[in-house]
Amino acid sequence: MDLTDKEYVERCRDGHQEDFRVLVDRYQKPLFAFLAGRLRDGRQVEEAAQESFVRAFLSLKKLRKPESFYSWLLGIGGRVAKEQLRSLKHRQQDCEVTESIMANAADRREDYPLEEAIAALPESYRQVILLRYYEGHSCQEIATRLELPLGTVTKTLSRAYALLRQELVARESAETTVNQTLLP
Amino acid sequence: MNCAECRENLVACVEGLLDREESLQCQAHLETCAACRAEHAAITRLQRQLMARSPATAGVSLVNPVMRRVQAMQTERERNSIMTKLFTRWGFGLGAAAGTAAIILIAFLVFPKAQATAAEVMTKGAQAVAKLTSIHLRGQLRTLPADNFSYINADCPFYTIEFWKQFEPDLKWRVEKPQRVVVADGQSTVMLIKNVGLAFKVPLSTTSAFDTQWLQRIANLSNTITNELNNALAKGWNMSLTNETGADGRAKDVVTIEAKSGLPDNDYLKNLYFNTADTRRMYVFDNQSEHLESVKIYLHAASGEKLIFELNQIDYNQPIDPGVWKLDLPADVSWWQNEMQKLPDNDKYASMTAEQTARAFFEACSQENWSEVEKFLRESPLDHLLKQELGGLEIIQIGTAFTSNASPDQFVPYKIKLKNGYDKELNLALRKDEPTGRWFVDGGW
Repeated sequence: MDLTDKEYVERCRDGHQEDFRVLVDRYQKPLFAFLAGRLRDGRQVEEAAQESFVRAFLSLKKLRKPESFYSWLLGIGGRVAKEQLRSLKHRQQDCEVTESIMANAADRREDYPLEEAIAALPESYRQVILLRYYEGHSCQEIATRLELPLGTVTKTLSRAYALLRQELVARESAETTVNQTLLP
Repeated sequence: MNCAECRENLVACVEGLLDREESLQCQAHLETCAACRAEHAAITRLQRQLMARSPATAGVSLVNPVMRRVQAMQTERERNSIMTKLFTRWGFGLGAAAGTAAIILIAFLVFPKAQATAAEVMTKGAQAVAKLTSIHLRGQLRTLPADNFSYINADCPFYTIEFWKQFEPDLKWRVEKPQRVVVADGQSTVMLIKNVGLAFKVPLSTTSAFDTQWLQRIANLSNTITNELNNALAKGWNMSLTNETGADGRAKDVVTIEAKSGLPDNDYLKNLYFNTADTRRMYVFDNQSEHLESVKIYLHAASGEKLIFELNQIDYNQPIDPGVWKLDLPADVSWWQNEMQKLPDNDKYASMTAEQTARAFFEACSQENWSEVEKFLRESPLDHLLKQELGGLEIIQIGTAFTSNASPDQFVPYKIKLKNGYDKELNLALRKDEPTGRWFVDGGW
């Protein structure tokens, strides 16, 4: 049975830095998808993802809730993406290109709350969603890997979908409220 | 089926995991209930949104570059300050010691003395191999020489299975049994099934491919021992400790764990794989070095207990010959494809039941109509063993499909007469979780 995020974070803090490999393996795809919603260029996304993991590793001791590793990682990822966009804006002579990248990132905004909503799930639900959709495992493979009955996996998925939908609706209405407040 | 039952089964229905009768009941209810239909639509919409992530992230492989950067930074930090180095070392020691103490304390508080002592041996064993740069395992398994790496069968003879893994500087591994080998060389992961000259490739170095996960877990020995201990404690598996003198004259600690799969005895997949089997596992640790030296796994079957897996050589941190990471492929190797294509007349096949699919598959084999046979398979090229065995068969009987708790497949019992005159009676495994919506043959021929 795989260890939880909390256990891996604690092992890394205790000096088993090789165990960070498992956390990278576990979250590289959702982090990549999250960053791809903010940055257009694939190479930029990969650089930002690597940078986010490295910063996360170096700051592991500051993480107050090790069980919230993934949502904390997304926070780091969001900051790294902002820095990249800012630095790109400063570097680029051709402002039109930069503006188009920024506009493109803004256009795709509706897509990336999904990863944030996944981060808000309790770990057992999040784990099943990540294995199913980011690692491409079938329900049976997940059942085998987590040593759970198949029925438990489908029920967990069912509950995870319900929580995800609630979370997405809540985020959407919060965003609508913000937009309405900002509108003249 | 009422609304509550429909809601409970919606995900299984969307995933194609219901049996035919339940699936029909679910569909019938959806046709008449707008509320459940809306729920179904919401789930499939969310699924599509999630599915859209897969293509963009399919080739993502950040583990090695990130770990290289992490290790480089660690080295740099350590070089910069002797004090940091000292503190880091102490930190490692204290953290590990605290973890060990916690597990042992819990074990002492909750379990009888013998179990607690076994837990102590396991915990120390996990610590002793916490920092590995490489590992080489060699043992034997009752299996078929070319079948899946996790396939076990108490009636099969023993075959040698060997595993090499390099953790640093790059993650590389190789697993080999007589007719099947996988190599991950840091760039990609390739499997060759030797007896049919068929190769499979994943364009990244991954540790979760080709049914080798259980070996990967074993190779991460520190985690394996810790997980085994945690499992035993969490699931209440019986755990005991005995002391022996080894062939080398040294004292050995032998931890025995009785593992339970939780599946009923009449389940079709019970005892076919490690994780569906009830087993007795014996771990032998050297008392002085605390290193795990050997493992034996016995299968508990209705007919009695039988040794099915033995690990009798474990080399820690030994240099591995670079040739191990090279895979020699035959010049005429065939590369496997696993995407089912939608057919012009796909609806005709998608509307078939599992039993109708089994019959149509065998009829196509009977006529040696291999292009038709391929419509019932996910993979190509067509396995030449399938052609050899099933070409020209005669159908005697097709039974009613049944399911197992341990698989999404449906199993259709069949009896056929082969071209060589022998009767064959088995269960054809069919699955229906591809976007084409057709049943495909998942095994059992």
